[in-house]
Order: sequence, then C-alpha cells, then structure tokens
Amino acid sequence: MASCRYQVLLLILCTSTLVYAERLHEQIYSSIEGGAACFRRLNGTHQAGCSSADNGAVGVVHMIKEINDAQWLVQNASAGPYMAVVSTAQFYDVIEIFMQQPANVAGILLYDNATDSPTAFSQESRCPNEYSSAPGNTCSSTVAGGIVWNTKGTGLLRRNIPFPIFYLPQSKSDEIDKIQVCYEKFNLDKSNQKGNPLCSLQLNSFMFAAVNSEVCLRRSASSALLTPTKVCDPLGDNNVYYSLFPRTEETKSSKSVTLVTARIDTASLFDGVSPGAASSVVGMVTLLTAATTLSQLIPAKDAKLHEQNVLWTLFNGEAFDYIGSQRVAYDISKGVWPAAAPLSPADIRLHVEIGQIGGALSNSNDSSWPFHAFVPYSNIIPEINEFLDMMTSNAKPYNTPVITPEFTTNLPPSSLHSFRRILKNVTESGELPEVLLVDHSNTFSNLFYQSALDEYGKIRFNYKNLTISDTGVFVSTDALLANGTLKEGDPQVKIARLATALARTLYQTVTGTAYSGNITASAHLVDEMLYCFLQSQACRLIMAADYASSSGGESPPAVPAPLYVGVAAWAATAPVFAAHLLALLTGAQLPANRTVCDTLAEPGYSYYWLRGWNHSGVCIQTTMNMSAAVSPAFAITDYDLSSGMYSSWTESVWQAMSARVFVSAGGGGAGAAAGAGVAATLLAAALTYWLHRHADRIFATPAASIVNDDAASGILRTVNC
Amino acid sequence: MDLTRLPNDKKLQLCRWYFKVGCLLLPFVWAVNAVWFFKEAFMKPPYDEQKQIKKYVVMSAAGAAAWVAVLAVWVTVFQLQRVAWGPTGDSLSFIVPLGRA
Repeated sequence: MASCRYQVLLLILCTSTLVYAERLHEQIYSSIEGGAACFRRLNGTHQAGCSSADNGAVGVVHMIKEINDAQWLVQNASAGPYMAVVSTAQFYDVIEIFMQQPANVAGILLYDNATDSPTAFSQESRCPNEYSSAPGNTCSSTVAGGIVWNTKGTGLLRRNIPFPIFYLPQSKSDEIDKIQVCYEKFNLDKSNQKGNPLCSLQLNSFMFAAVNSEVCLRRSASSALLTPTKVCDPLGDNNVYYSLFPRTEETKSSKSVTLVTARIDTASLFDGVSPGAASSVVGMVTLLTAATTLSQLIPAKDAKLHEQNVLWTLFNGEAFDYIGSQRVAYDISKGVWPAAAPLSPADIRLHVEIGQIGGALSNSNDSSWPFHAFVPYSNIIPEINEFLDMMTSNAKPYNTPVITPEFTTNLPPSSLHSFRRILKNVTESGELPEVLLVDHSNTFSNLFYQSALDEYGKIRFNYKNLTISDTGVFVSTDALLANGTLKEGDPQVKIARLATALARTLYQTVTGTAYSGNITASAHLVDEMLYCFLQSQACRLIMAADYASSSGGESPPAVPAPLYVGVAAWAATAPVFAAHLLALLTGAQLPANRTVCDTLAEPGYSYYWLRGWNHSGVCIQTTMNMSAAVSPAFAITDYDLSSGMYSSWTESVWQAMSARVFVSAGGGGAGAAAGAGVAATLLAAALTYWLHRHADRIFATPAASIVNDDAASGILRTVNC
Repeated sequence: MDLTRLPNDKKLQLCRWYFKVGCLLLPFVWAVNAVWFFKEAFMKPPYDEQKQIKKYVVMSAAGAAAWVAVLAVWVTVFQLQRVAWGPTGDSLSFIVPLGRA
C-alpha cells in the first residue's frame, strides 16, 4: 500500500516536472515556422551551399535595412556573432559583405517582403553551368567583361557559404513581425549591446556531407560498425519522352526524327522552394501543349503515311550541369536511348530546344513576345533555315513569335551544350543540326533565374479557372479571346500561339505540306497546365492524369510540385505529372476496362490506366516513356568524379532544419552563478579543513577497539577480495 | 587484493604473471603492474624477491611508457593527417565525422 502511494507520488512528480519543463522551454524559445533552409550540395571538386554547426548557429538579431547596417555588423558590432535579418530586396547588396567577412556572421534570415520586392534576384551563377559548356562558350563568371547571361546572379548556388541561410516567404511575414518586435525591445541600442539581454536567433541546418561528391559517396558506401550513415545521394530523376508515332526496332530505321526538347527542372538555394515559372515551366508547358496540338493535327494511325517522326523530350536535372541531357546524349552515343528503339545520331534530322522563354513575359502587356534562335553554325544548315522559315510563316497570323536568328557558338545555358560536348562529331559538323529558342539575346530577360521568387506572378499569370468538359475538350483560344476571358497579352494566349506555330511547323516537317485546317493550341489548356505546375498540384489536369488506382487517397496538396530535380533515390512528382499529362493529352483512349488494359502489350506502346476526365478510369495507349536522368558519372564504373566530364552533383543528407527566436541572457546571471559556486566550494573546503583539524573538539576520543588495525584490514580484505 | 597480506614469493609470482600477460599486447596491464608493485620494488625494506620484482616493475613501466609514446605519436599523426590521407584515412576511421572533412 505504502509503495503504491509512493508510485503515485512519483508519477505526479514526474508528470508535473515534464509539463513544467515544456512550459519553460516554450517560455524561452519561439519557433519560426514555414522557413526553408539553404542546404549543401557537392560536386566532383567542391561543396556548395550552407550548413550550420551540429547544434545550430546562434546569433544576435540584427535587422538589415540598408548597406550601412551590414557594414556595422561585420566591422563594429561587439556582441557577436550576429544573425542578419535581410529582405530579398536588400540581399543582393549585402550578401557580398557577409561573404567576404563572415567572422561576425552567424547566419542570415532572408525574408520576402510584399511591399519591397527586388527588381532582380538570382542565386545562380552569372554563367549557369559554365563548366559543362560546349566549346565556343565565352561566358565567364570569373573574368570581367564579355557576355554574361545572368548579370545579377550571386552564384551562391555554386559557392560554399560559411553560415546557414533560411528563407521566409511572403506568407510568413508574421514571423518577421515577431522578430521585429523582439528586436526593437532588446537590440535597438547598438552601442550598448554587450552584456545585456539580446534578441537572438538560432538556425539549425546541419549537413552530414562535406568536401566533395567523391568523399561523401565513399563515406556513404563504407559501412562502419557504429555509423552506417548515408551522408549524400546523387542528384537525378527521370527524363520524359514521347514520340508522335510509335518507334519500334522494326520501324525506326524508316523514319528520321525531329527531336524537340525542353527542361522540367529548376532550382533555388532553399529546400522545397523552386517555382521556376520563367526559368523552366513556360518552356515545358509550351512543349506539352505543342505535343498535344500536333497529336491532334496528325492522328497516330497515319504513321505509315509519313517518313518523319517527332520525338518530344523533357530533360530533368538540367540546372545541375545538365544531368538529364548529358545522360541522353551519352546514351545516344552508346546506342541505348530510347531503350525500346535506340536512336543513332544519323536518325536525328533536327534538334530543337525550347530554352528559357518565360522571362520576356514579365516585360510586356501586349501580344509581343520576341524570340532569338541560337544557331551554332557559320555555314547554312538547310534544316534549321527551313525550320525557322516555317515557324515565322506559321506565326504570321498572330505576329507571335518574331524570331531573330543569332549565329554564334556562344550558346545560352541549354541541353545543346550536352549534345555538343558528348556528340561533338555530329553536332559540330551540322550532321545533327541544333537550334535553340530563347527569349533573350545577350543577357537573360528573366531576372529571377532559378530563384525562390521565380513565381507565377513574374510571368503575369492569372488563373482563369474554367471547367473542362467530361470528354476533355478545351475551350479554344479564339473563343476565350472573343468572350473577353483572356486578352492578347496574357501568357496563356502567347504560349498557345507559340505552341500552335511549333505544332504546325512540325506538321509541315512530317507531312511535307503546310497545315490548312483550323486546329490551334488551346489557351484554356495552357491556363490549366500553368496552374498545375505553378500554383497547385490539386488541379483538374493532374487529377485527371493521375493513376486511377491512387484515387482512394487524399487529393494532392494545394501547392505546386517542387521542380528541383532532387536525389535519384526518390522519384519526384513533377516529371510524373508531365509524363501522365503527355499520355492523357496525346494518347489514344481505348475502350478497355482495367484488367484488359493491364494485359495490352503492342510493341512501341505502353498502357496506362488513368483516372480520366470524369474520374471513372480510362485506358490510355501512349508512346510516352521515361528514362533515367542520372548523370553518366554515376552510371560509369570507375568514373573519376573530379574529371569534370559529366555532372557529379550530390545532395547532402540532413536530419532536421529548424529556426527559433529567443532572448539570450546578458551574461550577468551566469557570472553571478559561477561566482557563487566558486565561493561556496572554497567555503566548504575551508570548513572541512577546519573541522578536520579540530575534530577532537567536536567528537569524543574514539574507543581503542574501533581503530584496531587488524579489524579494519579484515574488513578491507573481505571487501576487496 | 592487499599486497601487504601476501607472502613475498606470491608477490613475485603475481608481478611476473602481470608482466607476462602484458606481453600479449596489453600495455595497460604493464602500467597497472608498475604502479601496483612500485612500493614493493622501491620503498619496502629489502627482501629476497625484491630484486626480481624491481626488474619486472622497471620492464613493465618501460614497456608501458613505450606503448604510450607510440600511441601518442600515432594518434597525433592520425589526427593531423587523416584528411590528407583521403580514402585510407576514412577506412582507418571507426567513426567518420559528419559535416566536415
């Protein structure tokens, strides 16, 4: 009974202590939610990105309102280290100050402010993927002068940052207000900070990997007894490709192929924030829409009538030294891509890359959308001239696009670099002619290249939210323009016009005659697609294109799917969405139920049981397929990662990322406690010494028997032996 | 075990035994031996076995010191050179540090 009581008491004591401890913790710290941390990536020779110390980085909050604040922080501040709280508008001006003198900088909290938005923001290098460029590239991020693509790029994505950086999006402005209040209460007296309680921030983003890919992969592979820890993974995902007509081993030789490519992925410095509107999404959506339109112009059953085929390909991982296109070019050189019916370079009649074309959408409100076609040949290549002429004539009705050719081997970042390096013989001679469509000439028109701010607003996208019929029919662009839903200047209309021109051009290439019908790409489809990739994956298209089997689960989150390529071990959702959209929009709908659908196996096709427009399930026959977008560096055995031949990016593993704000003690209390501790120890020692000396005054002289040596050693013996 | 309670021949036997065990690459046993029998070897009034005990104590102490020196050099070299050794350094490590070279 008594023991039971004690147990109850103990339980109460324990729980009350626990509860109290939690409260105390909450009283001290206030966590900052919704932040995205900069993390570490590694390539063959370097580490890039950020990491905090194992237990987080702690610093005194300092709000950076102007450059002087940053200079004060690195030069004059005394209570350091400091956490700089910087808005995106200020970031470009102050980051170099912090990078040059990081001694007093514990970290940076970057926030996006609705009222003070930057005119440019890009953490990509001034010459993206400079070291994977083909010969002829003159862009240099280190040498001053010359053409630089990304003029406002800080290059942080490729540099080792000696402190952690966290990013808070606009939606989390209340967290910044919280820090601001704390800052104003404690830290405003700049000259008198040392020794006083100060508002402080702790950022925790400890990265496991270090040095370079070679070292971290080696450490991940070696399984020591105590630490079977994986410290990094290679970057990679899937490429998506789809051919207008099925390609099989038997039929492939009879048709030459026009390769049309774009990229899926983008990047940013921060985990989970990679919107990529102008950087990649506009190009990808143009490709998907053009492919859809071409499949409507030429029915797949006409395959036997035509001598030409079109292979649409979406590369993934292009932001990190062209992972996807390097792999495809490498596989073509080895004669193994696509797996079912490998292409040889001689089969490719023309390679058209839809590069970065979204930047110019932010500039104009009218229907103009100027293009530049980069042609890396000095001699005349008939296929390219023909293609550009056809594009121009097909665009005539709308005056969009107007294409200016640029004859130079100094190409903007694009998959052409991979083809020109790996398939050098055929691409440089013009046997495999290549042309790149972008919306800029010497410098990017997109000033937010691969950044957290490359959002839908930057391309003036405004979702119209129109319903799609049960049969998957989209409202035509002309109808939307006529009823005033869309205007000529809207990105949906511009992209639809471009896709129409591209589809008709390819129609002309395939059939040999100009298109005379009235099928055009639908701006409604473009509207839905942009919404899916830029605003919410819980959108009509993705819901319809998802596997029917996954319909039991909850709908996807109402945020865009991340477009960062991610690690090869995890399949990202964006390429799967793109692949399924291609299947649904271009594939043939078969009257088969699920069981029959799963058993179909006509060569050149694959079959997907997707949810369909009315969500009842539909069997789709498609030529769409995916291939690994993992750098050849990780596919070749004994590849020297430091050679720089292929992309060698890996991403560090981390355990937790967190940020919290608290008021750090001034140090007075801790000093007093230490002083009191020392005094108490000294006092106790003195007292003990005095008692020892004067024991006889307190205790009576002990009886003789107790101090008997024999007895004492007897006890010792029993104890010891 | 209380050495003072042990007859002298047993002491010698024990000391010799500890020395021999220490020869099996167990320098800590040597160190224990040296410390444990130090008083017996050098501070007790002379007795027959003391000379031999002294010999074992000195040899144990020297052996242990040699071990300490070798290990200290190795630890210093390893800590300073592990990163430079690259793959060798990693494979020699039982716990590879996270987040740094």
